[in-house]
Amino acid sequence: MKSLLLLNGSPRGERSNSMKMLRRVAEGWERGDGSAPEALHLARKAEFDRAVAAFAGADVVLLGLPLYTDSMPALVKTYIEALAPRVAVRENPTLAFLVQSGFPEARHSRPLERYLEKLARRLGSPYAGTIVRGGGEALQMMPDEANKKLWARLHVLGEQLARSGRFGENELAAISGTERFSPVAAALLSVACKLPITQFYWNMQLKKNGAWERRFAAPYGPALR
Amino acid sequence: MRITILNGEPESASNFQEYLSDVARRLASSGHAITTLNLRELDLKGCSGCFGCWVKTPGECAKRDDSAHICRAAIAADLLLLASPMTMGFTTALLKHAADQMIGLLLPNFEIEKGEVHHRARYAHYPNFGLLLGAGGDSDAEDIAITTEMWARMARNMKTRMAFTALASRSAQEVADEIAAAA
Repeated sequence: MKSLLLLNGSPRGERSNSMKMLRRVAEGWERGDGSAPEALHLARKAEFDRAVAAFAGADVVLLGLPLYTDSMPALVKTYIEALAPRVAVRENPTLAFLVQSGFPEARHSRPLERYLEKLARRLGSPYAGTIVRGGGEALQMMPDEANKKLWARLHVLGEQLARSGRFGENELAAISGTERFSPVAAALLSVACKLPITQFYWNMQLKKNGAWERRFAAPYGPALR
Repeated sequence: MRITILNGEPESASNFQEYLSDVARRLASSGHAITTLNLRELDLKGCSGCFGCWVKTPGECAKRDDSAHICRAAIAADLLLLASPMTMGFTTALLKHAADQMIGLLLPNFEIEKGEVHHRARYAHYPNFGLLLGAGGDSDAEDIAITTEMWARMARNMKTRMAFTALASRSAQEVADEIAAAA
């Protein structure tokens, strides 16, 4: 049995969308391999240090992270910088990644995916692939039942990682969904974005926090509206 | 031109720091208004994904740290110069801390722009982005291209564009001229 180090790179820690998805991949891994992964949150200082120390000893490292301003969160870059001494070693664990973003199209996450693939090469690590999944914030709104299909896909990917050391290309393509919208879909979405239902998630929270009146506040310069 | 420099160099004494100071002096002496934020000197608590800047204290980080200085100086600028040495194929974690805490410059709501989903603007004006990279160590042309691509995506999300990527291997005067031309 191989060892899997499961790293959650979300600053939100346990309650993050990244962790919800990572757990399903880990379940799939256990089905395929049987060994229980060690799971660590980079957002917790002690676990961050453990994640640096445990990196070299793992067979496979699966790092999950949210897209933050179109790249990795600073927390994840801090972790990657801590791996710098491993570059010279050239014998490092297989690297697998999961990038989740709030944008519905996969397009937004592709530059980060290219970075992660290069990171594996930089470390001399076999590259297992990157799961790219958009629409992440919707996970916070939906009951777990509604995400059954997504969970099933993540299970399959986890099992593939355990059995072959790689994610399947067809499965990666299927889970990332829409790469970019067609002109017709974009026009429809443009209308949909203006409908109250698509604003509901944010408006509800603004109102709950008593911040509704200040929702367009522009404290540092002229506002758009 | 008003230029805000976000300096992501973690060390106070380094070749990149000296080089950046030289570029800034040259820009100032040719009449540009330069604001330099040495990120290593600021109190940045880091983004924890709480969305407070979107739903609790709209436009401001709920943590009330020095990230307010970054946001104010960015919005006031014509050009935001993102300056950093390359480490592990990308700009430093220090610079990324600044970027993560700039998300409140946008609204949480989505819109479609040129066929892609992006966040809506909060401000009437956003600065052009420019990258100044200290491409030492093991970084190569592919790293520079990937780094540029990620920051250009952020620029697009911030309703602006990446005006240039300059490398600190060129002379300080050449780079100062290129930055000035990006007005």
